[in-house]
Amino acid sequence: MYENNSFQKIITNLQSFWIDQGCVLLQPYDSEVGAGTFHPATVLRVLGPDPIWKAAYVQPCRRPTDGRYGENPNRLQHYYQFQVIIQPSPEDIQNLYLESLNFIGLNPKDHDIRFVEDDWESPTLGASGLGWEIWCDGMEISQFTYFQQVGGFDVKPVASEITYGLERLAMFIQKIENVYDLDWDGVAKNMGGKTYGDIFLQQEKEFSKYNFEKSDTCSLFKQFSDAETECKNLLNDKKNPLALPAYHQCIKASHIFNLLDARGVISVSERQSYILRVRNMARSSCLAWMGKLNE
Amino acid sequence: MNNMNLSRGNLLLEFFSEEIPARMQLNSERQLENLFTKSLTQRNMAFESFKTYSGPRHLSIVIKNIELEQKDQKIERKGPRFDANQKAIDGFLKSNNLNLNETIIKETKNGKFYFHSQIIKGQNINEILPDIIDEIVNGFIWPKSQRWANTDLKWARPLRNIVLLVNDNPVKGKVRIGKDVFLNFTNFTFSHRHNDKKIIINKIENYEKLLEDHNVILDRNKRSHKIINDTSNLLDKEKLKLLIDKSLLEEVVGLVEFPNVLIGSISKKFMKLPREVLSTTMRVHQKYFSITNKEDNLESKFLFVANSIKNKKRDIRVIKGNERVLKARLSDANYFFENDISNRFENWNEKLKDVLFYEGLGSLHDKTIRMANMSNIFAKAFGVKSELAKQATLLSKADLVSEMVTEFPELQGIMGGHYAKIKNKSEEVSKAIYDHYKPKGVSDDLPETKLGSLLSMLDKIDTLVGFFTIGKKPTGSKDPFALRRNGFSIVQILVNLKLNISLNEVTNPPLKEHVCSSKSIKISLINFMIDKLKFVLSNQYNRIDVVDSVLNAKIVNDLPINLISSRVESISKFTKNNDFKIFLSNFKRINNILKSEKFSNDTELQVNIKIFETIEEKNIYNHMNSFSIVMEEKGFCVKSQDVLIKSLIKMNQSISLFFDNVIVNHEHDNIRINRLILLKNFHNLMLKFSSFDFIED
Repeated sequence: MYENNSFQKIITNLQSFWIDQGCVLLQPYDSEVGAGTFHPATVLRVLGPDPIWKAAYVQPCRRPTDGRYGENPNRLQHYYQFQVIIQPSPEDIQNLYLESLNFIGLNPKDHDIRFVEDDWESPTLGASGLGWEIWCDGMEISQFTYFQQVGGFDVKPVASEITYGLERLAMFIQKIENVYDLDWDGVAKNMGGKTYGDIFLQQEKEFSKYNFEKSDTCSLFKQFSDAETECKNLLNDKKNPLALPAYHQCIKASHIFNLLDARGVISVSERQSYILRVRNMARSSCLAWMGKLNE
Repeated sequence: MNNMNLSRGNLLLEFFSEEIPARMQLNSERQLENLFTKSLTQRNMAFESFKTYSGPRHLSIVIKNIELEQKDQKIERKGPRFDANQKAIDGFLKSNNLNLNETIIKETKNGKFYFHSQIIKGQNINEILPDIIDEIVNGFIWPKSQRWANTDLKWARPLRNIVLLVNDNPVKGKVRIGKDVFLNFTNFTFSHRHNDKKIIINKIENYEKLLEDHNVILDRNKRSHKIINDTSNLLDKEKLKLLIDKSLLEEVVGLVEFPNVLIGSISKKFMKLPREVLSTTMRVHQKYFSITNKEDNLESKFLFVANSIKNKKRDIRVIKGNERVLKARLSDANYFFENDISNRFENWNEKLKDVLFYEGLGSLHDKTIRMANMSNIFAKAFGVKSELAKQATLLSKADLVSEMVTEFPELQGIMGGHYAKIKNKSEEVSKAIYDHYKPKGVSDDLPETKLGSLLSMLDKIDTLVGFFTIGKKPTGSKDPFALRRNGFSIVQILVNLKLNISLNEVTNPPLKEHVCSSKSIKISLINFMIDKLKFVLSNQYNRIDVVDSVLNAKIVNDLPINLISSRVESISKFTKNNDFKIFLSNFKRINNILKSEKFSNDTELQVNIKIFETIEEKNIYNHMNSFSIVMEEKGFCVKSQDVLIKSLIKMNQSISLFFDNVIVNHEHDNIRINRLILLKNFHNLMLKFSSFDFIED
């Protein structure tokens, strides 16, 4: 149960709550991703081989176009998600979610909680699902998805994915209006306590500049092609493909695409073809993971 | 129903699921009622009435006075004739697994036949219901649906519980929703999440009340009324009003089980944002209603509907939370707005070069250039200055790459208008850009100004003609680019502005811009436009036959739209005039003669006046010539259409006399043919005005 509502306490509370539900607690994937879903623990694991898979982890996410040079109180190009993936989707999953809110100091009975239709689709992953955005007093604090397809393949049994937007959630719980004011550690300022801004403001400023102005687009275009080639090469041997390293290249390519997008150097007509290229990498990596590359 | 007895009772079926999207709920009620009543009718089971309910999680139907026992059914099978050969009789017995003594012989109007009749015992409703529920569950069609866990069944969101009661008693049974996965029928449902209770339903008649006591209003109309009533209780005394938004209300009704109307404040510093930005941000992202005051200005308040019963402490907390969210949203909008107003139209237009309008139709920038090229040609007809028209076209699409419109596509045009004004473009140009996506449907308003209408028309005609030239015209039910609506909008503008411009003049410039010289594309384009014109004029004048007659006149493509309108109006007016009726019947008589003589040669043959035998022929000929001159002089004059009809009517007498005294079928072929040519020429002349045979008597 929650003792304080610092950012880090919310994370450790969520971790212990979902550990108690039988989830394996994982650590973030060690490459830049746009969403917690990209973690192989979600994308590949829901395609098998275990019919039962429960995992929870924090995932730092990068969305280069959302950078605001540290000037917008709500938008970040780097932020955290807490991801819970459970397969097959449990019957009481909605209630478990609501209990988890209570566990981190947000009693659903004291608030207006809404499940608002939000169908999720990731063109780059060839993935889709149905679910909701979850509103608490008008604020979207989580995404809830029943995975139907990943990499273009049916997810069987269906998995449920819960994604908590940690900054939003913490801002809501701490009742503050600027993300940089978030209390990170629950320690008093004069005792060396840190805010979110103390830790990330400089990073937001520098990376916004990097994402929008300074990244080397020539090099990025090359990196994209290199990742694509390497992904293909890793799957060349159809009997012994290296699914995980191939998927790693897919993740890299996806982030590079986002960086190029932030520079505005991908025209509307090219955009679709880049998305398609990443999707093909995701799809063949998924096929390799399922041992179906030969089929 | 009077002869009610114990063999009838009430039934309750409830599907309880996780939150169903608001937009699907109303239709799911209709489906439930259709599927259930269909299943009952197929089984010959009568009932008196039903009522359906839908909300986020509860979808249910109560059926009153349904038959509890199915009637026995007699099934009769006809066999071979009584005197048929033994092989046929044996075949009948064998295929039905019968002995001869189980058959009877009956007289029919075709003779005596073997018959076998069988009584199928009616079943009790409890035995039938599992099948019916199975049919309903599997017959449901959702716009989007999903599997969950190990199910094969697809539902909009996971289906968690099925309540089934007959005469207040639970019905035993289950439905299969996947391999080895079943849902049992139960007698309990669930309350509002704030109560978090399992509720056992003991009496069907208490169902609605019971759930309302647990903060679930099942009836969506009741929820809607509660919202409306609570809203006026809150606003009326302050003389404030909601910005009416029916589709938002319907959506909100589908998002709450127990509506609680609350009002929050908007920080004053955001009130300088254009009102469309404020209300769109509130509506799209937050599903809030905007509030206006007596002067129809936006108040710095918003109204929203929480899903809870009233509770002062909680309500304050919920309002504060929503205010915080809106503040963040509006900060974002404000950020876009500030960035946009420090940007320049030139930059945006440069960016438009990279935005594809459609494969084969160039970029959005190319589109504005085409529109600019055409603006000059149309400016005069619309009565606007051509420099202004050109300027408006070149600025019209810039906002599509602004940050605000990227975030809120529905603000296209509107933002362009605001930005143009802020950047000191002329008032007229700003207004035109603001309005140029109108009219969005047959019932939508036109742009307020002529310049706006011109801009709208140019935008739409470029799109329409463009897609026609790349072979994407609408076919059957497929119209992915909404070209039909586009066509309607163009015609609405042309008709309402009473423009002195013909369909040829409307379509030639865009065809030229799209470098298209294909005859067949032009023809299908003109036919498409005539079809839309027909619809719009018929709506306006309420006489489809008259509209048809004018639109089937010769060279209608060259007739100015205002002339077509005024001709339709004049003829419609005259359809009640007796002399005009005589003219019509004469015209139809001529039409019939020409038809029966198969005299359909379209080329205008010369009448030989030297072989006229009668004064009647001569009279018609002379009338015809003078009408021809009047047509030349006044045919294109909008105000003279009544005069033209009157001069048509003047010919009545000579035509009648012709029919009375002249026989077309003269024994000499040359005279016969000359008379036919005379009639044909007369007919052709009339067709220049209107194809009168379309007009109903």
